[in-house]
Amino acid sequence: MTVSPYGPHAVLLRFADEPGEDALRRRLALIADIERHPPPGLIEYVPGFVTLLLRFDPSQSHQIARAGGEILERLASAVPKHLPDGPIKTIPVVYDGEDLTTLADAKALSPPDVVRLHSAPIYHVQLIGFSPGFPYLGELDPILHTPRRATPRVRVAAGSVAIGGEHTGIYSVDSPGGWHIIGRTHVRMFDEACAATAAAPADAFFLRPGDRVRFVPVEATKA
Amino acid sequence: MNADALVVVRPGLGATFQDDGRPGLARFGVPPGGAMDAHASACANRLLGNRPDAAVIEVLLQGARFEACREIAIAVTGADAQGNVPLWRRHVVGAGTSIEFPASRDGLWIYIAVEGGFDAPRYFGSASVYPRGRIGRPLTAGDVLKHIVSGPTSPRIDDGSTIQPRDYSHPPAIRIWRGPQWHLFEPADHHALLQQDWAVSPSSDRVGYRLDGPQLGARVAPIPSQPVLIGSIQIPPSGQPIVTMRDGPTVGGYPTIGLVDPEDLSWLAQCRPGMTVRFQSAE
Repeated sequence: MTVSPYGPHAVLLRFADEPGEDALRRRLALIADIERHPPPGLIEYVPGFVTLLLRFDPSQSHQIARAGGEILERLASAVPKHLPDGPIKTIPVVYDGEDLTTLADAKALSPPDVVRLHSAPIYHVQLIGFSPGFPYLGELDPILHTPRRATPRVRVAAGSVAIGGEHTGIYSVDSPGGWHIIGRTHVRMFDEACAATAAAPADAFFLRPGDRVRFVPVEATKA
Repeated sequence: MNADALVVVRPGLGATFQDDGRPGLARFGVPPGGAMDAHASACANRLLGNRPDAAVIEVLLQGARFEACREIAIAVTGADAQGNVPLWRRHVVGAGTSIEFPASRDGLWIYIAVEGGFDAPRYFGSASVYPRGRIGRPLTAGDVLKHIVSGPTSPRIDDGSTIQPRDYSHPPAIRIWRGPQWHLFEPADHHALLQQDWAVSPSSDRVGYRLDGPQLGARVAPIPSQPVLIGSIQIPPSGQPIVTMRDGPTVGGYPTIGLVDPEDLSWLAQCRPGMTVRFQSAE
């Protein structure tokens, strides 16, 4: 575990060597620790797969290396052996995405097999990025790992449920995208209207770092 | 209280409301946004006695045209597009006056402030428009832009004096810090980054500026996606650096060799494609 300076007002904590369950446990423990004991002057924290950014108020950034070191020390003594049982958010999915058949064929599976494998796990929000509220969810069954499309689509609709590399995710806004679309949901990851009115910014997002997700297959009429 | 200030006759190559952005939402995938040239934007507000974070219009290069709805004080700063309004000073325009930017000469981004500040829609408390994330929308022809009618909140600069303009054709060497993956690169890469000339690529926008020059980090592999600060100098497999700008992704998988000093990012932002920039160590 290391603390790297990242410009005059931030540090990057590296808490694991590679993504996976151990990294997830450590990330969740770090987030919980920072939420409980935010270091003085902290403006925001941003999780990555094996790193975590701490960004400080420029007027209070002289102690940032020490703050980062203290957080990692607490982590070393307090990594839980099991993943925490946080609440699970359910997302209904109509599995009729335009890449479902191609992806199934490439794996020598039937589309219902892909649906079964995709909707079986309880996923963790690994990180949120790419666009507002877009979750990278894991662990995806290794059979379903699929490199991104060679040519991204110009427009992927918000609500598209997709697979990219070792992750699955949900497009949060209409945007270009290179993931394989296997389904769609009416649940919105980012409520654009809420951005104009929300008292707490987090209210505009369906998921946050540390949340868990379960996909539930439904018929077209119900989503 | 608000009142009509300007009408958008045409937005040219692009015009959006901006302010000092919405930092603090990166963990939800929302970049900080804000004016690309924060210095010029702040100066435009200062000339009018506006709050430093009042909304301004950010205009890309040439082609945009506005019309004043009433007699109103404005301040235009940033890039020089041969407009009909004097730059870097408070200027009163009469009702019906056209404000236009026919031919870009120097810099990329123009800032227009009005007295009181524009009364722009706010998302997460900021007027900064982030079209790629569907936060707000660019200005279009026919938009009527209102301003907040109130006295200045701080002393305005209305004695005809100007703020010293920046010469965007001759930026200083841009200060950079070591990034989290600095140590993965060879000394030759560090040397090239700090000593060579870098040309701003035409494929540069509010998301990122690409730099053409010597190839860096031939043996440095992509990394698991990590948080990315604006100003980060990332090295993709092509070896040509990408500097993350204000609408850039909040996470990324390219190793980050350096970080442009936050104070100097506004200089880089105004560098036109083809211009040469140099870096120097901030440490």
